[in-house]
Amino acid sequence: MKSFTYVVKDELGIHARPAGLLVKEAKQFNSAINLECGGKKASAKALMAVMGMAVKKENEVTVTAEGDDEDAAIKAIEAFFKANL
Amino acid sequence: MGMFDFLKKKPNENVDVIAAPVAGEAVASSEINDPTFGEEMLGKGLAIKPSDTKVYAPFDGTVAMVFDTKHAVSLVSEKGAEVLIHIGLDTVSLKGEHFTTHVENGVIVKKGDLLLEFDKEAIKEAGFDTIVPIVICNTDEYKDVKRITGMEVKPGDTIMELEK
Repeated sequence: MKSFTYVVKDELGIHARPAGLLVKEAKQFNSAINLECGGKKASAKALMAVMGMAVKKENEVTVTAEGDDEDAAIKAIEAFFKANL
Repeated sequence: MGMFDFLKKKPNENVDVIAAPVAGEAVASSEINDPTFGEEMLGKGLAIKPSDTKVYAPFDGTVAMVFDTKHAVSLVSEKGAEVLIHIGLDTVSLKGEHFTTHVENGVIVKKGDLLLEFDKEAIKEAGFDTIVPIVICNTDEYKDVKRITGMEVKPGDTIMELEK
């Protein structure tokens, strides 16, 4: 299993648009990709669940990937967070 | 009696009906001036150019989340359809101004229950498009999403039929 943590810098947090982009990115991988933030957990491939986490600016998110392409997955998702959030 | 007759007995079992949450003109997503919704990045759907300011539940179900910025609400129908109703484009940046919510997360609603109200004119004056995208977030779970567009709709009118 691979993981990273990231503190959200985007003023608006993970709202509908970034949530949609994140899910699209995550769905490209076979690995199970999960987000955890403030005691809430969601699959990064489930849009409603990601939006339901209501991640805000300054929140710390832990992302994990587990599966045959976990290395590529965690790299791509980390790059996504850095570029978009 | 053919072996597939059981499939025909309850034709509605696999179909989830989505009603218009707001009055206005139902249009295709391609008419939404925003890549996220216009290209259906969040899922298939359509949009309503609102002629009214009240947003109602599109089916019997549960409110999954009222965004704390009040500009969007997500719901899950009794049959499992996950729907996002997003009031206006980029309205997340209004941070709740010009919106009034009438429901909370986790509340069970009946089709037609009032969810929220928005001040259409004030949002327009602030420089935002007030079009209302309605998105099926779990589009992947359906083999067909039928959409009814190109006409005026009232709250409660069928705008989408989802088939498993």
